[in-house]
Amino acid sequence: MASGSCTNGDPVRVDFRFRRELAEKIEGNLASFCYQCGACVGDCPATTYGATFNPRELMLKVLYGLSDELMVTDSILWQCANCYNCHERCPQEVKPVEVIISMKNMLADRGIYPDAVRKVIETFEQTGRTTPLSPAVDRQRAKYGLSPLPPVPMEEIQKLIEPASIEGDEA
Amino acid sequence: MTRVAFFPGCLIPARHPPMEFAIRYCMRNLGVELVDLEGASCCPDPIYFKSKDKLSWLAVAARNLTLAEDLGLDVVTNCSGCTATLSESYHLLQDEQLRAKVNERLARIGREYRGTSRVRHIVAFVRDEVGYETIRESLVTPLDGLKIAIHYGCHLLKPSKIMQVDDPNNPSVLEKLVSALGAVPVRHRNWYLCCGKACQIGDIPTNMMHGLLGTVNDEQADILCMICPTCFGQFDHGQLKVMKQFDEEAYTPPIYYFQLLAFAQGVPYEELGIERHRLKPECLRRFTSVAAEERKVSTDGAYQEP
Repeated sequence: MASGSCTNGDPVRVDFRFRRELAEKIEGNLASFCYQCGACVGDCPATTYGATFNPRELMLKVLYGLSDELMVTDSILWQCANCYNCHERCPQEVKPVEVIISMKNMLADRGIYPDAVRKVIETFEQTGRTTPLSPAVDRQRAKYGLSPLPPVPMEEIQKLIEPASIEGDEA
Repeated sequence: MTRVAFFPGCLIPARHPPMEFAIRYCMRNLGVELVDLEGASCCPDPIYFKSKDKLSWLAVAARNLTLAEDLGLDVVTNCSGCTATLSESYHLLQDEQLRAKVNERLARIGREYRGTSRVRHIVAFVRDEVGYETIRESLVTPLDGLKIAIHYGCHLLKPSKIMQVDDPNNPSVLEKLVSALGAVPVRHRNWYLCCGKACQIGDIPTNMMHGLLGTVNDEQADILCMICPTCFGQFDHGQLKVMKQFDEEAYTPPIYYFQLLAFAQGVPYEELGIERHRLKPECLRRFTSVAAEERKVSTDGAYQEP
């Protein structure tokens, strides 16, 4: 068992503020349907090949709202392989991987994500692509008879990814 | 000619142009017209940008889908990551509330998502709209007897209700595509494993790759074939890294399916872009292309039909 306040015998205080915040995210509320059967664990490659990752335990921590263990730098959430096996196996359609991604959205709201992740996000926000354009890329493409890659209309992308509060929509 | 909107994504056009060349070459040979989507952006990726803000991720994905809706065409993707994002968006946006929310965002740029363009991974599209027999008929150099290990990767198959490509517990599409080349498909014991690329911390990706590559090497296949550019990276330079870390010698050179098909359709080995691979499938050299002599690359680099 992983260490954590859900296993130390003390009464658990469910952090509803954390759970309300998570429920605001797309498919963040699905953990509420988890009955802790563990079907997600057997097929999880991060469980098989890692020492601590366990999607069933993560869903339990979500149910308790143990944000202190989840909303941290180098959170265990980043060990998820995004393989979607748990999504496939869950009899309750909890989609643990989606709940995990929703929590990553909460980490992003707090400005804490790994450098490798931050780098790709910034490249996308600046260029509209995750693999940036360069003259070298276009030279490679020309070698195979492919036309240069056109720039992405960034003014459109930037308008789309602005938070709702700026224009007051999505109330 | 069947026409579809082509969504090549970021990784293949920018990092693996030979893969894009092979797809365009093969699809033309198979009688499919790929229509480029003007103004397309990153799908956006289902690992990084989705981790920042799912709603923005969905809005950008929906914008990409509206580009195909404008043309009245279905979307064909060649990257499992793009397929994951666009298929999941198509699925999520069937929810009226969510669609309304996303359309409020799209209204900022004068667009509206309608849900009229389906999303299909290129292997599902080839299976359903082209057929294995057409592939067989297109071959110049059948790869008779070549032993090919198969890697499905995650996002081609799962979540199966959303991807709707194949049975995630016992898929067959890649085996059949490889058989259509005349080759012998081999399913290794850890065939269902993830390539590990998306894990961001710890030793998990290396351990995972080591477990997977072990069972691939057990099969002593000539080549490891996959249809995801991210998996390809893991199996090319990633495989070298794993071999070094675990001090092992055995390896299986990886190749993207459409480069293999292009080779079987007559593109010479030297023109497949293999020189950029860290682990080269030299075994292909034993098949000499009868069409190789007839084909020439013109000075502007565009391929001429024989």
